[in-house]
Amino acid sequence: MNRGRLASASRGIDAFNRRLGSLVAWLTLVMVLVGSFNAVARYLGRWVGVNLSSNTWLELQWYLFSLVFLLGAAHVLECGAHVRVDVLYGRLSTRARSWIDLLGSLLFLIPFTVFGLWVSWPAVRNSWAIREGSPDPGGLARYPIKAVILLAFALLLLQGVSEAIKAAGRLRAPEPEAPGGATAPKEEAR
Amino acid sequence: MSGDWLAPLMFVVVMLFIFLGYPVAFSLGGAALFFAVLGVELGYFDWNLLYAFPERVFGVMSNYVLLAVPYFIFMGTLLEKSKLAEDLLHTIGLLFGRVRGGLALAVVFVGTLLAAATGVVGASVVAMGLISLPVMMRYRYSPELATGVITAAGTLGQIIPPSIVLVVLADQLGVSVGDLFLGSLVPGLALAGLYACFIGVVAMVRPAAAPALPAAERALSGRVLARRLAVAMVPPLALVLVVLGSIFAGVATPTEAGALGALGAIALAALHRRLSMQALRETMAETARLTSMVVFLLIGSTAFALVFRGLYGDVWIEDLLTNLPGGKIGLLIVANLAIFVLGFFIDFFEIAFIIVPLLVPAALALGIDPVWFGVMIAMNLQTSFLTPPFGFAIFYLRGVCPPEISTLQMYRGVVPFVAIQIVALVLVIAFPEIAMFLVR
Repeated sequence: MNRGRLASASRGIDAFNRRLGSLVAWLTLVMVLVGSFNAVARYLGRWVGVNLSSNTWLELQWYLFSLVFLLGAAHVLECGAHVRVDVLYGRLSTRARSWIDLLGSLLFLIPFTVFGLWVSWPAVRNSWAIREGSPDPGGLARYPIKAVILLAFALLLLQGVSEAIKAAGRLRAPEPEAPGGATAPKEEAR
Repeated sequence: MSGDWLAPLMFVVVMLFIFLGYPVAFSLGGAALFFAVLGVELGYFDWNLLYAFPERVFGVMSNYVLLAVPYFIFMGTLLEKSKLAEDLLHTIGLLFGRVRGGLALAVVFVGTLLAAATGVVGASVVAMGLISLPVMMRYRYSPELATGVITAAGTLGQIIPPSIVLVVLADQLGVSVGDLFLGSLVPGLALAGLYACFIGVVAMVRPAAAPALPAAERALSGRVLARRLAVAMVPPLALVLVVLGSIFAGVATPTEAGALGALGAIALAALHRRLSMQALRETMAETARLTSMVVFLLIGSTAFALVFRGLYGDVWIEDLLTNLPGGKIGLLIVANLAIFVLGFFIDFFEIAFIIVPLLVPAALALGIDPVWFGVMIAMNLQTSFLTPPFGFAIFYLRGVCPPEISTLQMYRGVVPFVAIQIVALVLVIAFPEIAMFLVR
């Protein structure tokens, strides 16, 4: 594959994860509403002696939580918001940072996400095979949310590839004299 | 037996990797994988242990305590993005502005109240700096006092409930969030009180460093002021107090209180006609971003812990820590020094997820109360974040500071607050009852 194709693949991955990220952000608002309902329902339910909430709603709350961080993680990586220790990184040149980003993607992130897919696969497959449900009455089916673990690692893997492509691109391009040093380099061609 | 060196080596190498500056969550995960493979090759590690990993991830997903984290982030971020926090600062500034040093007191008050909901040092200090530094400079506060107060108050918010770092710390310590909130309440408020005393002393000794608002600005009638207080101060104050009160009274779990607190923040913003689409969007994006960052850090740490335990690293650390000369005192000294130094480089969450789980078994074995231990860790970290020349908080404030304030001035400004912190930390260590009397 030539460099243009790689760069456009990287742009495609970025755009997809960015859109997914802004979509799942809305789920935080849904979480607030569901959580508030659960809290009020439990309290009122004690007063009127009827259980107003149910395991459906209680489990929906953490399903939403899981979707937010699992599906949002790739976008968080793209916008450079996963926390770094920047004592050293913050003082390095753009070029040295690009090296760290490239090697980090190749040696840490990509192997880790492949590992995540590898060890999660049997668990998720079993869960699907038996159509695993909730241990609690009225709870939500477990197998779809477990599959999201795989999806999350897959999206992170893709984003890791995209980050590696961008870092390699920065290293091959002639060094532009970047004025000042912003800590989190967030440069991608839109 | 000869595989014993693997765990110590892993610990050192992982720390080195983290310092390279690649996102910590994935450095941890990648390094864990590397040592797992090494361990398998050398015959000291059982690869099958790693199949527990998806189950751990699932445990994080369904962890009811961690569910409180996005709610508190949402609440705090919305109060900030809808500019309610700024209003609060201005109003309290007017209220206290009549006395010398009043504006600085207002910063301590607002920091205590509102920064509580954000957990990342950088975020709370930057937010406080953006809101309050321009005001203080306009009214000719000395740069030392202004920056010192902002860094101290901005970091204090972290250890005053309801803060998300206390939520994750409670989870890692295996104690109830309510207990840790209660335990850190008195030390946190005492620190705020000590800051206020210090400001009072400065205002008396060096009036020029902390002037009162000019007469023209405070020429508000009592009635106008009372109305502004009722509008800008009482509602957010009531919101935070209700959230906390319902947790302390046992009426609501922290998760429930957090959800209702976030809903309350939406209602407040709407009542003030500040609930713009932009504020809401920014809040949701920030909540999703921070939540994902925190949880993935935990997932990376989980991979690390899984491999580290598989290599008997937990046994090694516990042996090391329980056999220190001086027993309990020895452990406290080592733990405090380690946390203080690590706090120069890594944020609260990394320490809570990587270091705290290593300390807890030894602390429990020596009969140390985990709630008190948590309070001590939190206070220690806050001190570390403030301490020049490495303190995190100073770097972050530097980023939003006008260039005419020198870094040296910031260092000088923060020193008295560090001294206050150290005194308070020593007191809490010497007299655990300061933290614990509410918990029992």
